[in-house]
Amino acid sequence: MKKILQLITKRMFSLIITLVVMSFIIFLLVEIMPGDVAQMILGQSATEESLRDLRESMGLNDSVIRRYVTWVGNVIRGDLGTSAYMRNVPINDLLWRRVGHSLILALAAFIIFVPLSIVLGVIAGVKEKKWADSLISFFGLATMALPEFVSGVLLIIIFSVQLNILPIVSIIPIGETLMQNLEILVMPALSITFVMFGYVSRMQRSSMIQVMNSDYVRAATLKGLPKNYIIFRHALKNALLPTITIIGMNMGWLFGGLVVVETLFGFPGMGSLLMTAIKTRDVPLIEACVLLITIIYALSTMLTDILYSLLNPRIRHQGGQS
Amino acid sequence: MSQLWYQLKKSPLAIIGIAILALWLFAAIFGPSLIPFTYTEIDSQQIMVNPGVKGHLLGTDNMGRDIFARIVYGSRSIFTVALLTSMLSTLMGVILGFIAGYFGGKIDTVFLRAMDIMMAIPPLVLSMVVLGILGDSNIISLTLIVSIAFVPATARVSRGVLLTEKNKEYVSAARIRGESNLYIMFVEILPNTTGPIIVEATARFAYSIMTVASLGFLGVGLQPPTPDWGMMVIENKPIISQAPWAVLFPALAIASLVIAISIISDFVGKVLVNER
Repeated sequence: MKKILQLITKRMFSLIITLVVMSFIIFLLVEIMPGDVAQMILGQSATEESLRDLRESMGLNDSVIRRYVTWVGNVIRGDLGTSAYMRNVPINDLLWRRVGHSLILALAAFIIFVPLSIVLGVIAGVKEKKWADSLISFFGLATMALPEFVSGVLLIIIFSVQLNILPIVSIIPIGETLMQNLEILVMPALSITFVMFGYVSRMQRSSMIQVMNSDYVRAATLKGLPKNYIIFRHALKNALLPTITIIGMNMGWLFGGLVVVETLFGFPGMGSLLMTAIKTRDVPLIEACVLLITIIYALSTMLTDILYSLLNPRIRHQGGQS
Repeated sequence: MSQLWYQLKKSPLAIIGIAILALWLFAAIFGPSLIPFTYTEIDSQQIMVNPGVKGHLLGTDNMGRDIFARIVYGSRSIFTVALLTSMLSTLMGVILGFIAGYFGGKIDTVFLRAMDIMMAIPPLVLSMVVLGILGDSNIISLTLIVSIAFVPATARVSRGVLLTEKNKEYVSAARIRGESNLYIMFVEILPNTTGPIIVEATARFAYSIMTVASLGFLGVGLQPPTPDWGMMVIENKPIISQAPWAVLFPALAIASLVIAISIISDFVGKVLVNER
């Protein structure tokens, strides 16, 4: 337990440093961004006076450092500022609903790909070099290589254009919630599943093979234990550890994938919001989205690390018992 | 070399991968001079023509542009950017990773911290935000930004590889001989680490294509009129019900190329690991 608390404090500390550096770099980027922000927002027909007013109200005349410090102060107080493009709309009103949608989408993908890739990875590992293994391994290699929008497009052509059973776009009608439109989650979640399946099942397969060839499994086999008992009681526990690490490491791909998938399907999540923010050069909104993605990503990798140390007795018992 | 041929004969999948890659390379180099259409040719008489009709092998899009021509021309830009990106990110990774691993101590700590910070944002999100803010991507900015986003991964691999070599006797021997640090790093150690670095570079090539295609898809990659496979997918998505081929074929182009390179990098990994 002590170990885990230590891990959490350490990670939290590095997360804060990361956030400070990251957000500052984005501030600097905006500085060298070609063109005038105020001009971009108001358009070519803006008068000199209105431009000056906008620059004043956005604090564009202040130095970078000063603007940055003001921004950080506001963020700490929970105020993410207002959108530059949709003027006077507080980012807090825009962002959180979208974040919720994205998390539900990520969770849906998670629920599909984690069990699927572990089960198929174990089968491939146990049946090494048999036809089942070749089939699963090739499928894994192929899906891993498909960017999310490619598998997404294939799914759309099959399920929407040919079979006509799922909607082409994942838009929530005005006045309804995501929960009333769960069918729009299916194809986006499957597109993410495809990519992740490749990584995770391959890892599961190779760690299963390694464990099945280890001394203690051989000893259990020689003792005459039934094969299924060995696989589930002895081998699986150890073979799961590297898989958990790989799932954690690939959370980055998952979040990148969310942006792509949400853009493809028009799904109203955080990723498509970030994309809109970039297209409209909405700097405060970009900052807020990047900040949030970084936090969620860091928290999810931290969670996998904790899970890993809980499952791995060699780490769990270190120092904790004294 | 003979080892390579021997391994290749045993692996039909790798042969297929190499064949697909060779086909795309051929298309990229000679294709544009062999097809009767150009990628910008707009033909209002032949909008959304079915594949195979009127000489349009893969059909046309909603502006009457030939899909096949656009894919063939698009292969040039994706090859150029992805190849440059994998080389540049590997090169930067080797330099940074070697310096950090070789000198160790404070330099290494600073390096690891910096990499941690960069890794806090997924590479795709990082390059998309930066390219989006900078605007008007071209081959140079695209290559540079994606390479930088990949550096944490390549540098960590290079650093790890260097650490396994650093304490070997030939390094101490070179040090006693009075060779300079640079000489030891890049003339003594580097040749002994080419295996894992080549494996990393080929895997990076596949990642580069995926990332560049995704960036094109998100609209922050190469700008029109340059045909870009990822951009073709999102451009034609609104007409997917009427002309699915306009979306399907660019998507399949990306898929075939990335799968081919992944198979090859898998194969290269196996051969170079077995050799050791």
